[in-house]
Amino acid sequence: MVLLIDNFKIAFKNIKERKSRVFLTLIGVAIGIMAIVALMSLGEGMQSAVEGELASLTDTIIVTTGSVNVNAMGGGFTEGGGAHFTQRDIDGINRIGGLESVNPVMFGGAIIEYNGEFHSVTILGMDAYSMSYIFGIDFLGLQSGEFMNTGDQNKCIIGNNVANEYFDTSISVGNKIKINNKNFYVNGIYKKQGAGFSTETDDNIHLTVRDFKKITGQENISGILIRVSDVNNIEDIADEIEFVINENHGEDDFANVITMSSILDSIQSVLSVISLFLLGIAAIALVVASIGIMNTMLTSVMERTHEIGIMKAIGAKNTDILSIFLTEGILISLFEGSLELC
Amino acid sequence: MSQEDFVITAKDINKIYGRGETKVNALKKVNIEIKKGDYITIIGPSGSGKSTFMNILGCLDKPTSGKLYIENTDVSTLNENKLAKIRRKKIGFIFQKYNLIPTLTALENVTLSMSFAGVTFSERIKRAEDLLKKVDLTHRLSHKPSELSGGEQQRVAIARALSNNPSIILADEPTGNVDSRSGIKIMDILEKINNQGETVIVVTHDPNIAKRGKWTIRIHDGVVSGFAD
Repeated sequence: MVLLIDNFKIAFKNIKERKSRVFLTLIGVAIGIMAIVALMSLGEGMQSAVEGELASLTDTIIVTTGSVNVNAMGGGFTEGGGAHFTQRDIDGINRIGGLESVNPVMFGGAIIEYNGEFHSVTILGMDAYSMSYIFGIDFLGLQSGEFMNTGDQNKCIIGNNVANEYFDTSISVGNKIKINNKNFYVNGIYKKQGAGFSTETDDNIHLTVRDFKKITGQENISGILIRVSDVNNIEDIADEIEFVINENHGEDDFANVITMSSILDSIQSVLSVISLFLLGIAAIALVVASIGIMNTMLTSVMERTHEIGIMKAIGAKNTDILSIFLTEGILISLFEGSLELC
Repeated sequence: MSQEDFVITAKDINKIYGRGETKVNALKKVNIEIKKGDYITIIGPSGSGKSTFMNILGCLDKPTSGKLYIENTDVSTLNENKLAKIRRKKIGFIFQKYNLIPTLTALENVTLSMSFAGVTFSERIKRAEDLLKKVDLTHRLSHKPSELSGGEQQRVAIARALSNNPSIILADEPTGNVDSRSGIKIMDILEKINNQGETVIVVTHDPNIAKRGKWTIRIHDGVVSGFAD
Protein backbone atom coordinates (compact mmCIF):
# COMPACT_ATOMS: atom_id res chain seq x y z
CA MET A 1 0.00 0.00 0.00
CA VAL A 2 1.44 3.30 -1.04
CA LEU A 3 1.38 5.96 1.63
CA LEU A 4 -0.72 9.02 0.93
CA ILE A 5 2.29 11.30 1.11
CA ASP A 6 4.04 9.29 -1.62
CA ASN A 7 1.00 9.61 -3.83
CA PHE A 8 0.98 13.34 -3.33
CA LYS A 9 4.69 13.60 -4.04
CA ILE A 10 4.49 11.60 -7.26
CA ALA A 11 1.31 13.32 -8.39
CA PHE A 12 2.72 16.74 -7.63
CA LYS A 13 5.87 16.01 -9.62
CA ASN A 14 3.79 14.82 -12.54
CA ILE A 15 1.68 17.96 -12.51
CA LYS A 16 4.81 20.10 -12.28
CA GLU A 17 6.21 18.26 -15.28
CA ARG A 18 3.09 19.08 -17.32
CA LYS A 19 2.21 22.40 -15.78
CA SER A 20 1.30 24.31 -18.93
CA ARG A 21 -1.13 21.62 -20.03
CA VAL A 22 -2.69 21.34 -16.60
CA PHE A 23 -2.98 25.12 -16.49
CA LEU A 24 -4.77 25.29 -19.83
CA THR A 25 -7.17 22.58 -18.76
CA LEU A 26 -7.85 24.42 -15.55
CA ILE A 27 -8.64 27.61 -17.40
CA GLY A 28 -11.02 25.70 -19.67
CA VAL A 29 -12.93 24.24 -16.74
CA ALA A 30 -12.85 27.53 -14.84
CA ILE A 31 -14.43 29.33 -17.77
CA GLY A 32 -17.04 26.61 -18.08
CA ILE A 33 -18.04 26.83 -14.46
CA MET A 34 -17.90 30.59 -14.43
CA ALA A 35 -20.21 30.61 -17.44
CA ILE A 36 -22.66 28.37 -15.58
CA VAL A 37 -22.60 30.50 -12.46
CA ALA A 38 -22.78 33.79 -14.31
CA LEU A 39 -25.59 32.79 -16.67
CA MET A 40 -27.56 31.08 -13.92
CA SER A 41 -27.39 34.09 -11.64
CA LEU A 42 -28.25 36.33 -14.57
CA GLY A 43 -31.43 34.34 -15.17
CA GLU A 44 -32.26 34.16 -11.49
CA GLY A 45 -31.62 37.85 -11.01
CA MET A 46 -33.79 38.73 -13.97
CA GLN A 47 -36.66 36.68 -12.60
CA SER A 48 -36.49 37.92 -9.05
CA ALA A 49 -36.14 41.54 -10.21
CA VAL A 50 -39.25 41.31 -12.35
CA GLU A 51 -41.18 39.40 -9.74
CA GLY A 52 -40.16 41.81 -6.99
CA GLU A 53 -41.27 44.77 -9.04
CA LEU A 54 -44.54 43.39 -10.23
CA ALA A 55 -45.46 41.68 -7.01
CA SER A 56 -46.28 45.10 -5.53
CA LEU A 57 -48.99 45.46 -8.15
CA THR A 58 -50.73 42.15 -7.63
CA ASP A 59 -53.85 43.86 -6.26
CA THR A 60 -54.43 45.70 -9.54
CA ILE A 61 -56.80 44.73 -12.33
CA ILE A 62 -56.49 46.40 -15.72
CA VAL A 63 -59.52 46.39 -18.00
CA THR A 64 -59.15 47.25 -21.67
CA THR A 65 -61.37 46.77 -24.66
CA GLY A 66 -61.13 43.94 -27.12
CA SER A 67 -58.21 41.64 -27.43
CA VAL A 68 -55.02 43.61 -27.04
CA ASN A 69 -51.46 42.64 -26.50
CA VAL A 70 -50.65 42.03 -22.91
CA ASN A 71 -48.17 44.66 -21.99
CA ALA A 72 -47.07 45.29 -18.48
CA MET A 73 -47.46 49.03 -18.30
CA GLY A 74 -50.01 51.24 -19.90
CA GLY A 75 -49.90 49.54 -23.25
CA GLY A 76 -52.87 48.26 -25.08
CA PHE A 77 -55.29 51.04 -24.33
CA THR A 78 -57.29 52.03 -27.37
CA GLU A 79 -57.77 55.61 -28.28
CA GLY A 80 -61.00 57.36 -27.48
CA GLY A 81 -62.48 56.97 -30.95
CA GLY A 82 -62.80 53.18 -30.96
CA ALA A 83 -64.68 50.83 -28.68
CA HIS A 84 -64.71 52.28 -25.20
CA PHE A 85 -66.22 51.95 -21.79
CA THR A 86 -69.01 54.08 -20.45
CA GLN A 87 -69.99 55.50 -17.08
CA ARG A 88 -72.44 52.59 -16.89
CA ASP A 89 -69.51 50.18 -16.87
CA ILE A 90 -67.84 52.08 -14.06
CA ASP A 91 -71.07 52.06 -12.06
CA GLY A 92 -71.51 48.35 -12.73
CA ILE A 93 -68.01 47.62 -11.47
CA ASN A 94 -68.57 49.79 -8.42
CA ARG A 95 -71.45 47.55 -7.43
CA ILE A 96 -69.09 44.55 -7.13
CA GLY A 97 -67.93 44.05 -3.57
CA GLY A 98 -64.36 43.90 -2.32
CA LEU A 99 -62.94 46.77 -4.34
CA GLU A 100 -60.56 49.38 -3.04
CA SER A 101 -60.88 51.81 -5.93
CA VAL A 102 -62.11 52.03 -9.53
CA ASN A 103 -60.43 54.54 -11.79
CA PRO A 104 -60.96 55.24 -15.48
CA VAL A 105 -58.01 55.65 -17.84
CA MET A 106 -58.30 57.81 -20.90
CA PHE A 107 -56.11 57.74 -23.92
CA GLY A 108 -55.80 60.20 -26.78
CA GLY A 109 -53.71 62.51 -28.89
CA ALA A 110 -52.80 66.11 -28.28
CA ILE A 111 -50.60 68.88 -29.63
CA ILE A 112 -48.04 70.34 -27.28
CA GLU A 113 -46.18 73.58 -27.58
CA TYR A 114 -42.91 74.59 -26.00
CA ASN A 115 -40.83 77.65 -26.84
CA GLY A 116 -42.92 78.24 -29.94
CA GLU A 117 -42.35 74.72 -31.31
CA PHE A 118 -45.18 72.24 -31.79
CA HIS A 119 -45.30 68.49 -31.49
CA SER A 120 -48.02 65.87 -31.36
CA VAL A 121 -47.98 63.38 -28.49
CA THR A 122 -50.06 60.68 -26.95
CA ILE A 123 -51.64 61.68 -23.67
CA LEU A 124 -52.98 59.48 -20.93
CA GLY A 125 -55.45 60.51 -18.28
CA MET A 126 -55.42 58.68 -14.99
CA ASP A 127 -56.16 59.55 -11.39
CA ALA A 128 -53.16 60.88 -9.47
CA TYR A 129 -53.01 58.04 -6.95
CA SER A 130 -53.09 55.25 -9.57
CA MET A 131 -50.45 57.02 -11.58
CA SER A 132 -47.97 57.16 -8.72
CA TYR A 133 -48.94 53.63 -7.70
CA ILE A 134 -48.43 52.00 -11.08
CA PHE A 135 -45.79 54.15 -12.71
CA GLY A 136 -43.93 54.70 -9.47
CA ILE A 137 -42.47 51.20 -9.28
CA ASP A 138 -38.69 51.05 -9.34
CA PHE A 139 -37.92 50.23 -12.92
CA LEU A 140 -40.33 52.81 -14.25
CA GLY A 141 -40.37 55.75 -11.89
CA LEU A 142 -39.44 59.37 -12.19
CA GLN A 143 -36.08 60.77 -13.17
CA SER A 144 -36.88 64.09 -11.57
CA GLY A 145 -39.80 65.92 -9.99
CA GLU A 146 -42.67 64.11 -8.33
CA PHE A 147 -46.07 62.59 -9.01
CA MET A 148 -49.21 64.74 -8.72
CA ASN A 149 -51.39 64.78 -5.64
CA THR A 150 -55.07 64.12 -5.79
CA GLY A 151 -56.76 67.43 -6.54
CA ASP A 152 -53.81 68.95 -8.39
CA GLN A 153 -54.74 70.75 -11.58
CA ASN A 154 -52.89 71.71 -14.74
CA LYS A 155 -49.92 69.58 -13.90
CA CYS A 156 -48.43 66.79 -15.98
CA ILE A 157 -45.71 64.15 -15.99
CA ILE A 158 -43.86 63.90 -19.27
CA GLY A 159 -41.92 61.03 -20.86
CA ASN A 160 -38.19 61.19 -21.20
CA ASN A 161 -38.22 61.56 -24.99
CA VAL A 162 -40.78 64.32 -24.75
CA ALA A 163 -38.53 66.14 -22.31
CA ASN A 164 -35.22 65.69 -24.09
CA GLU A 165 -35.74 65.00 -27.77
CA TYR A 166 -38.88 66.62 -29.05
CA PHE A 167 -37.76 70.22 -28.74
CA ASP A 168 -34.56 72.12 -29.38
CA THR A 169 -34.21 72.92 -25.70
CA SER A 170 -34.93 70.23 -23.16
CA ILE A 171 -37.86 70.55 -20.85
CA SER A 172 -37.17 70.28 -17.15
CA VAL A 173 -39.31 70.07 -14.05
CA GLY A 174 -40.99 73.39 -13.29
CA ASN A 175 -41.16 74.44 -16.96
CA LYS A 176 -44.48 75.32 -18.52
CA ILE A 177 -45.72 73.61 -21.66
CA LYS A 178 -48.92 74.06 -23.59
CA ILE A 179 -51.10 71.03 -24.22
CA ASN A 180 -53.90 71.73 -26.68
CA ASN A 181 -53.25 75.38 -25.97
CA LYS A 182 -53.69 75.11 -22.23
CA ASN A 183 -50.81 75.84 -19.87
CA PHE A 184 -49.45 72.91 -17.91
CA TYR A 185 -46.84 72.78 -15.21
CA VAL A 186 -44.28 69.95 -15.68
CA ASN A 187 -44.44 68.20 -12.32
CA GLY A 188 -42.16 65.29 -13.15
CA ILE A 189 -40.17 63.56 -15.88
CA TYR A 190 -40.11 59.78 -16.28
CA LYS A 191 -36.92 57.76 -16.38
CA LYS A 192 -35.82 56.69 -19.84
CA GLN A 193 -37.24 53.25 -20.55
CA GLY A 194 -35.50 52.65 -23.85
CA ALA A 195 -35.78 49.03 -24.89
CA GLY A 196 -36.85 48.01 -21.41
CA PHE A 197 -40.20 46.78 -20.31
CA SER A 198 -42.33 49.44 -21.81
CA THR A 199 -41.35 52.26 -24.08
CA GLU A 200 -44.81 53.75 -23.67
CA THR A 201 -43.85 56.26 -21.04
CA ASP A 202 -40.98 57.68 -23.09
CA ASP A 203 -43.24 59.40 -25.61
CA ASN A 204 -46.33 59.96 -23.47
CA ILE A 205 -47.65 62.72 -21.30
CA HIS A 206 -49.63 61.73 -18.25
CA LEU A 207 -52.40 63.97 -16.87
CA THR A 208 -55.17 63.64 -14.36
CA VAL A 209 -58.51 62.49 -15.74
CA ARG A 210 -60.05 65.85 -15.03
CA ASP A 211 -57.42 67.74 -17.04
CA PHE A 212 -57.64 65.17 -19.78
CA LYS A 213 -61.36 65.74 -20.17
CA LYS A 214 -60.86 69.49 -20.01
CA ILE A 215 -58.36 69.71 -22.86
CA THR A 216 -59.79 67.04 -25.13
CA GLY A 217 -63.48 67.44 -24.36
CA GLN A 218 -63.59 63.67 -24.60
CA GLU A 219 -65.50 61.41 -22.23
CA ASN A 220 -64.58 58.04 -23.69
CA ILE A 221 -62.95 55.68 -21.24
CA SER A 222 -60.20 53.57 -22.81
CA GLY A 223 -59.42 51.49 -19.77
CA ILE A 224 -60.25 50.98 -16.14
CA LEU A 225 -57.84 50.42 -13.29
CA ILE A 226 -59.27 48.58 -10.32
CA ARG A 227 -57.59 47.75 -7.03
CA VAL A 228 -59.07 45.04 -4.86
CA SER A 229 -58.93 44.97 -1.09
CA ASP A 230 -58.08 41.26 -0.82
CA VAL A 231 -55.56 39.93 -3.32
CA ASN A 232 -56.81 36.37 -2.82
CA ASN A 233 -60.14 37.21 -4.45
CA ILE A 234 -58.61 38.95 -7.43
CA GLU A 235 -59.30 36.24 -10.02
CA ASP A 236 -62.97 35.94 -8.99
CA ILE A 237 -63.44 39.70 -9.08
CA ALA A 238 -61.74 39.86 -12.48
CA ASP A 239 -64.20 37.29 -13.84
CA GLU A 240 -67.10 39.22 -12.41
CA ILE A 241 -65.90 42.48 -13.94
CA GLU A 242 -65.56 40.85 -17.31
CA PHE A 243 -69.07 39.46 -17.04
CA VAL A 244 -70.59 42.81 -16.04
CA ILE A 245 -68.97 44.75 -18.87
CA ASN A 246 -69.67 42.15 -21.55
CA GLU A 247 -73.26 42.10 -20.38
CA ASN A 248 -73.49 45.90 -20.65
CA HIS A 249 -72.24 45.89 -24.21
CA GLY A 250 -73.88 42.67 -25.30
CA GLU A 251 -70.63 41.23 -26.62
CA ASP A 252 -68.73 38.17 -25.48
CA ASP A 253 -65.27 39.62 -25.86
CA PHE A 254 -65.80 43.29 -25.29
CA ALA A 255 -63.69 43.56 -22.16
CA ASN A 256 -60.20 42.32 -21.70
CA VAL A 257 -59.49 41.92 -18.02
CA ILE A 258 -55.87 41.51 -17.00
CA THR A 259 -54.60 40.89 -13.51
CA MET A 260 -50.98 41.53 -12.58
CA SER A 261 -50.60 37.90 -11.64
CA SER A 262 -51.57 36.80 -15.12
CA ILE A 263 -49.02 39.20 -16.52
CA LEU A 264 -46.56 37.90 -13.98
CA ASP A 265 -47.28 34.35 -15.10
CA SER A 266 -46.71 35.13 -18.74
CA ILE A 267 -43.51 37.03 -17.98
CA GLN A 268 -42.32 34.22 -15.78
CA SER A 269 -42.90 31.63 -18.45
CA VAL A 270 -40.89 33.71 -20.91
CA LEU A 271 -38.15 34.23 -18.36
CA SER A 272 -37.95 30.57 -17.49
CA VAL A 273 -37.46 29.76 -21.16
CA ILE A 274 -34.67 32.34 -21.27
CA SER A 275 -33.13 30.90 -18.10
CA LEU A 276 -33.28 27.43 -19.60
CA PHE A 277 -31.64 28.70 -22.75
CA LEU A 278 -28.85 30.34 -20.74
CA LEU A 279 -28.42 27.18 -18.73
CA GLY A 280 -28.16 25.24 -21.98
CA ILE A 281 -25.36 27.44 -23.25
CA ALA A 282 -23.55 27.19 -19.93
CA ALA A 283 -24.00 23.42 -19.89
CA ILE A 284 -22.37 23.18 -23.30
CA ALA A 285 -19.44 25.21 -21.98
CA LEU A 286 -19.15 22.85 -19.03
CA VAL A 287 -19.36 19.73 -21.19
CA VAL A 288 -16.59 21.09 -23.42
CA ALA A 289 -14.50 21.80 -20.33
CA SER A 290 -15.09 18.34 -18.89
CA ILE A 291 -14.08 16.73 -22.16
CA GLY A 292 -10.95 18.85 -21.91
CA ILE A 293 -10.16 17.48 -18.47
CA MET A 294 -10.92 13.94 -19.60
CA ASN A 295 -8.59 14.47 -22.52
CA THR A 296 -5.82 15.71 -20.25
CA MET A 297 -6.20 12.77 -17.89
CA LEU A 298 -6.38 10.34 -20.80
CA THR A 299 -3.24 11.68 -22.47
CA SER A 300 -1.61 11.67 -19.08
CA VAL A 301 -2.41 7.97 -18.73
CA MET A 302 -1.56 7.08 -22.32
CA GLU A 303 1.80 8.76 -22.43
CA ARG A 304 2.63 7.01 -19.19
CA THR A 305 1.68 3.45 -20.09
CA HIS A 306 5.39 2.79 -20.08
CA GLU A 307 5.76 4.25 -16.59
CA ILE A 308 2.74 2.27 -15.40
CA GLY A 309 4.38 -0.87 -16.80
CA ILE A 310 7.55 -0.11 -14.85
CA MET A 311 5.64 0.44 -11.65
CA LYS A 312 3.78 -2.83 -12.12
CA ALA A 313 7.06 -4.63 -12.83
CA ILE A 314 8.55 -3.41 -9.57
CA GLY A 315 5.53 -4.63 -7.69
CA ALA A 316 2.76 -2.00 -7.80
CA LYS A 317 -0.79 -3.28 -7.51
CA ASN A 318 -3.40 -1.90 -9.89
CA THR A 319 -4.94 -0.03 -6.98
CA ASP A 320 -1.58 1.60 -6.20
CA ILE A 321 -1.40 3.00 -9.71
CA LEU A 322 -5.05 4.00 -9.68
CA SER A 323 -4.52 5.88 -6.44
CA ILE A 324 -1.55 7.75 -7.93
CA PHE A 325 -3.65 8.93 -10.87
CA LEU A 326 -6.63 9.72 -8.66
CA THR A 327 -4.44 11.79 -6.38
CA GLU A 328 -3.26 13.66 -9.44
CA GLY A 329 -6.86 14.29 -10.47
CA ILE A 330 -7.78 15.43 -6.98
CA LEU A 331 -4.79 17.77 -6.85
CA ILE A 332 -5.78 19.29 -10.19
CA SER A 333 -9.34 19.70 -8.92
CA LEU A 334 -8.06 21.41 -5.78
CA PHE A 335 -6.00 23.86 -7.83
CA GLU A 336 -9.08 24.32 -9.94
CA GLY A 337 -11.22 25.04 -6.91
CA SER A 338 -8.81 27.60 -5.52
CA LEU A 339 -8.56 29.24 -8.95
CA GLU A 340 -12.34 29.42 -8.98
CA LEU A 341 -12.42 31.08 -5.55
CA CYS A 342 -9.93 33.74 -6.57
CA MET B 1 16.88 -33.35 -5.18
CA SER B 2 13.57 -32.36 -3.60
CA GLN B 3 11.50 -29.56 -5.03
CA GLU B 4 12.03 -27.36 -1.95
CA ASP B 5 15.57 -26.58 -3.05
CA PHE B 6 14.46 -24.87 -6.24
CA VAL B 7 13.53 -21.18 -6.33
CA ILE B 8 12.11 -21.58 -9.81
CA THR B 9 10.54 -24.65 -11.33
CA ALA B 10 9.05 -24.45 -14.81
CA LYS B 11 6.99 -27.40 -16.07
CA ASP B 12 5.97 -27.75 -19.74
CA ILE B 13 5.62 -24.05 -20.26
CA ASN B 14 4.09 -23.01 -23.58
CA LYS B 15 3.52 -19.45 -24.66
CA ILE B 16 1.44 -18.74 -27.75
CA TYR B 17 0.89 -15.23 -29.09
CA GLY B 18 -2.05 -14.52 -31.40
CA ARG B 19 -4.35 -17.14 -32.86
CA GLY B 20 -5.17 -18.90 -36.13
CA GLU B 21 -2.93 -18.09 -39.09
CA THR B 22 -0.79 -15.56 -37.21
CA LYS B 23 -0.22 -17.78 -34.21
CA VAL B 24 3.33 -17.64 -32.86
CA ASN B 25 4.57 -20.34 -30.55
CA ALA B 26 7.11 -18.35 -28.59
CA LEU B 27 7.92 -21.01 -26.01
CA LYS B 28 7.55 -24.74 -26.53
CA LYS B 29 7.41 -27.10 -23.58
CA VAL B 30 10.07 -25.43 -21.50
CA ASN B 31 11.17 -27.35 -18.42
CA ILE B 32 13.68 -25.85 -16.07
CA GLU B 33 14.73 -26.00 -12.44
CA ILE B 34 16.78 -23.28 -10.82
CA LYS B 35 18.41 -23.71 -7.44
CA LYS B 36 18.72 -21.05 -4.79
CA GLY B 37 21.94 -19.08 -5.17
CA ASP B 38 22.40 -20.03 -8.83
CA TYR B 39 23.89 -17.61 -11.34
CA ILE B 40 22.31 -18.45 -14.65
CA THR B 41 22.68 -16.83 -18.03
CA ILE B 42 20.10 -17.30 -20.77
CA ILE B 43 21.49 -16.91 -24.28
CA GLY B 44 19.84 -17.02 -27.64
CA PRO B 45 19.46 -14.96 -30.82
CA SER B 46 16.81 -12.26 -30.93
CA GLY B 47 13.33 -13.65 -31.48
CA SER B 48 14.30 -16.92 -29.86
CA GLY B 49 11.86 -16.42 -26.99
CA LYS B 50 14.34 -15.51 -24.25
CA SER B 51 12.60 -12.25 -23.38
CA THR B 52 9.23 -14.03 -23.34
CA PHE B 53 10.72 -16.57 -20.96
CA MET B 54 12.13 -13.77 -18.82
CA ASN B 55 8.74 -12.02 -18.65
CA ILE B 56 7.09 -15.24 -17.57
CA LEU B 57 9.75 -15.87 -14.90
CA GLY B 58 9.23 -12.30 -13.69
CA CYS B 59 5.45 -12.81 -13.49
CA LEU B 60 4.92 -10.00 -15.98
CA ASP B 61 3.29 -12.43 -18.36
CA LYS B 62 1.40 -15.69 -17.90
CA PRO B 63 2.21 -18.91 -19.73
CA THR B 64 -0.48 -20.20 -22.11
CA SER B 65 -0.09 -23.62 -20.55
CA GLY B 66 2.21 -25.30 -18.08
CA LYS B 67 3.11 -24.53 -14.52
CA LEU B 68 5.56 -22.13 -12.97
CA TYR B 69 6.55 -22.40 -9.32
CA ILE B 70 8.38 -19.59 -7.57
CA GLU B 71 9.58 -20.75 -4.16
CA ASN B 72 6.94 -23.48 -4.30
CA THR B 73 4.07 -21.14 -5.11
CA ASP B 74 2.23 -21.97 -8.32
CA VAL B 75 2.14 -18.51 -9.89
CA SER B 76 0.29 -19.59 -13.04
CA THR B 77 -2.99 -19.60 -11.09
CA LEU B 78 -2.56 -16.35 -9.14
CA ASN B 79 -4.65 -13.23 -9.68
CA GLU B 80 -3.29 -9.75 -10.49
CA ASN B 81 -2.85 -8.61 -6.90
CA LYS B 82 -1.13 -11.79 -5.78
CA LEU B 83 1.18 -11.60 -8.80
CA ALA B 84 1.98 -8.00 -7.85
CA LYS B 85 2.87 -9.24 -4.39
CA ILE B 86 5.23 -11.91 -5.86
CA ARG B 87 6.89 -9.29 -8.07
CA ARG B 88 7.23 -6.99 -5.09
CA LYS B 89 8.62 -9.51 -2.58
CA LYS B 90 10.45 -12.16 -4.56
CA ILE B 91 11.63 -10.63 -7.81
CA GLY B 92 13.93 -7.76 -8.66
CA PHE B 93 13.85 -6.72 -12.29
CA ILE B 94 16.68 -5.07 -14.22
CA PHE B 95 15.84 -3.96 -17.77
CA GLN B 96 17.97 -3.28 -20.80
CA LYS B 97 16.59 0.26 -21.00
CA TYR B 98 16.87 0.93 -17.23
CA ASN B 99 13.17 1.92 -17.04
CA LEU B 100 13.55 4.45 -14.27
CA ILE B 101 10.70 6.91 -13.62
CA PRO B 102 11.92 10.11 -15.32
CA THR B 103 10.24 12.53 -12.93
CA LEU B 104 11.80 10.99 -9.81
CA THR B 105 15.37 11.30 -8.52
CA ALA B 106 17.72 8.32 -8.12
CA LEU B 107 16.86 8.06 -4.45
CA GLU B 108 13.11 8.32 -5.09
CA ASN B 109 13.31 5.68 -7.82
CA VAL B 110 14.79 3.27 -5.31
CA THR B 111 12.32 4.15 -2.56
CA LEU B 112 9.30 3.88 -4.88
CA SER B 113 9.31 0.08 -4.99
CA MET B 114 9.67 0.01 -1.22
CA SER B 115 6.67 2.30 -0.88
CA PHE B 116 4.62 -0.29 -2.80
CA ALA B 117 5.78 -2.82 -0.20
CA GLY B 118 4.71 -0.55 2.66
CA VAL B 119 8.17 0.08 4.12
CA THR B 120 8.16 3.09 6.47
CA PHE B 121 9.42 6.39 5.19
CA SER B 122 12.58 6.68 7.27
CA GLU B 123 13.56 3.06 6.72
CA ARG B 124 13.08 3.47 2.98
CA ILE B 125 15.43 6.42 2.80
CA LYS B 126 18.06 4.69 4.89
CA ARG B 127 17.89 1.49 2.86
CA ALA B 128 17.90 3.34 -0.46
CA GLU B 129 20.99 5.29 0.58
CA ASP B 130 22.72 2.05 1.60
CA LEU B 131 21.87 0.39 -1.72
CA LEU B 132 22.99 3.37 -3.78
CA LYS B 133 26.23 3.37 -1.81
CA LYS B 134 26.64 -0.30 -2.70
CA VAL B 135 26.43 0.54 -6.41
CA ASP B 136 28.77 3.52 -5.98
CA LEU B 137 26.23 6.30 -6.49
CA THR B 138 26.32 8.14 -3.16
CA HIS B 139 27.13 11.35 -5.05
CA ARG B 140 24.10 11.05 -7.35
CA LEU B 141 21.21 10.64 -4.88
CA SER B 142 19.14 13.64 -5.99
CA HIS B 143 19.89 13.45 -9.71
CA LYS B 144 17.11 12.66 -12.13
CA PRO B 145 17.62 9.84 -14.66
CA SER B 146 18.15 12.35 -17.46
CA GLU B 147 21.13 13.74 -15.51
CA LEU B 148 22.79 10.33 -15.18
CA SER B 149 24.89 8.34 -17.65
CA GLY B 150 23.60 5.03 -18.98
CA GLY B 151 25.84 3.04 -16.65
CA GLU B 152 24.76 5.12 -13.66
CA GLN B 153 21.10 4.71 -14.54
CA GLN B 154 21.55 0.95 -14.77
CA ARG B 155 23.18 0.93 -11.33
CA VAL B 156 20.19 2.88 -9.93
CA ALA B 157 18.01 0.20 -11.50
CA ILE B 158 20.06 -2.50 -9.78
CA ALA B 159 19.68 -0.73 -6.44
CA ARG B 160 15.94 -0.55 -7.11
CA ALA B 161 15.82 -4.27 -7.96
CA LEU B 162 17.48 -5.06 -4.62
CA SER B 163 15.34 -2.70 -2.56
CA ASN B 164 12.74 -5.20 -1.36
CA ASN B 165 15.23 -8.03 -0.65
CA PRO B 166 14.01 -10.26 -3.47
CA SER B 167 15.10 -13.89 -3.74
CA ILE B 168 15.55 -13.68 -7.52
CA ILE B 169 17.21 -10.98 -9.62
CA LEU B 170 16.14 -11.03 -13.25
CA ALA B 171 18.30 -8.97 -15.60
CA ASP B 172 17.23 -8.59 -19.23
CA GLU B 173 20.31 -7.58 -21.25
CA PRO B 174 21.56 -5.35 -18.41
CA THR B 175 24.65 -4.30 -20.37
CA GLY B 176 22.89 -3.90 -23.71
CA ASN B 177 22.74 -0.10 -23.60
CA VAL B 178 25.96 0.80 -21.80
CA ASP B 179 29.62 1.07 -22.82
CA SER B 180 31.88 -1.90 -22.18
CA ARG B 181 33.58 -0.43 -19.09
CA SER B 182 30.22 0.27 -17.42
CA GLY B 183 29.11 -3.14 -18.58
CA ILE B 184 31.98 -4.81 -16.73
CA LYS B 185 31.15 -2.79 -13.61
CA ILE B 186 27.52 -3.87 -13.78
CA MET B 187 28.43 -7.51 -14.25
CA ASP B 188 30.80 -7.23 -11.27
CA ILE B 189 28.00 -5.89 -9.13
CA LEU B 190 25.68 -8.71 -10.22
CA GLU B 191 28.37 -11.25 -9.39
CA LYS B 192 28.84 -9.68 -5.97
CA ILE B 193 25.10 -9.90 -5.37
CA ASN B 194 25.17 -13.56 -6.36
CA ASN B 195 28.07 -14.17 -4.00
CA GLN B 196 25.90 -12.88 -1.18
CA GLY B 197 23.46 -15.73 -1.88
CA GLU B 198 21.03 -14.10 -4.28
CA THR B 199 19.75 -16.06 -7.27
CA VAL B 200 20.68 -14.14 -10.40
CA ILE B 201 19.35 -14.78 -13.90
CA VAL B 202 20.81 -12.77 -16.76
CA VAL B 203 19.51 -12.75 -20.32
CA THR B 204 22.08 -11.83 -22.93
CA HIS B 205 23.13 -12.45 -26.50
CA ASP B 206 26.78 -11.75 -25.69
CA PRO B 207 28.69 -15.04 -25.24
CA ASN B 208 31.35 -13.29 -23.11
CA ILE B 209 28.74 -12.28 -20.57
CA ALA B 210 27.03 -15.65 -20.81
CA LYS B 211 30.32 -17.26 -19.80
CA ARG B 212 30.25 -15.52 -16.43
CA GLY B 213 27.22 -17.54 -15.30
CA LYS B 214 27.58 -20.77 -13.35
CA TRP B 215 25.61 -22.34 -16.10
CA THR B 216 23.98 -21.21 -19.31
CA ILE B 217 20.59 -21.99 -20.86
CA ARG B 218 20.39 -21.79 -24.65
CA ILE B 219 17.06 -20.96 -26.23
CA HIS B 220 16.39 -21.31 -29.91
CA ASP B 221 12.98 -20.91 -31.54
CA GLY B 222 11.24 -21.24 -28.22
CA VAL B 223 12.96 -24.50 -27.37
CA VAL B 224 15.50 -24.85 -24.62
CA SER B 225 18.14 -26.54 -26.67
CA GLY B 226 20.77 -27.18 -24.13
CA PHE B 227 22.45 -26.47 -20.88
CA ALA B 228 26.09 -25.67 -20.67
CA ASP B 229 28.25 -25.37 -17.64
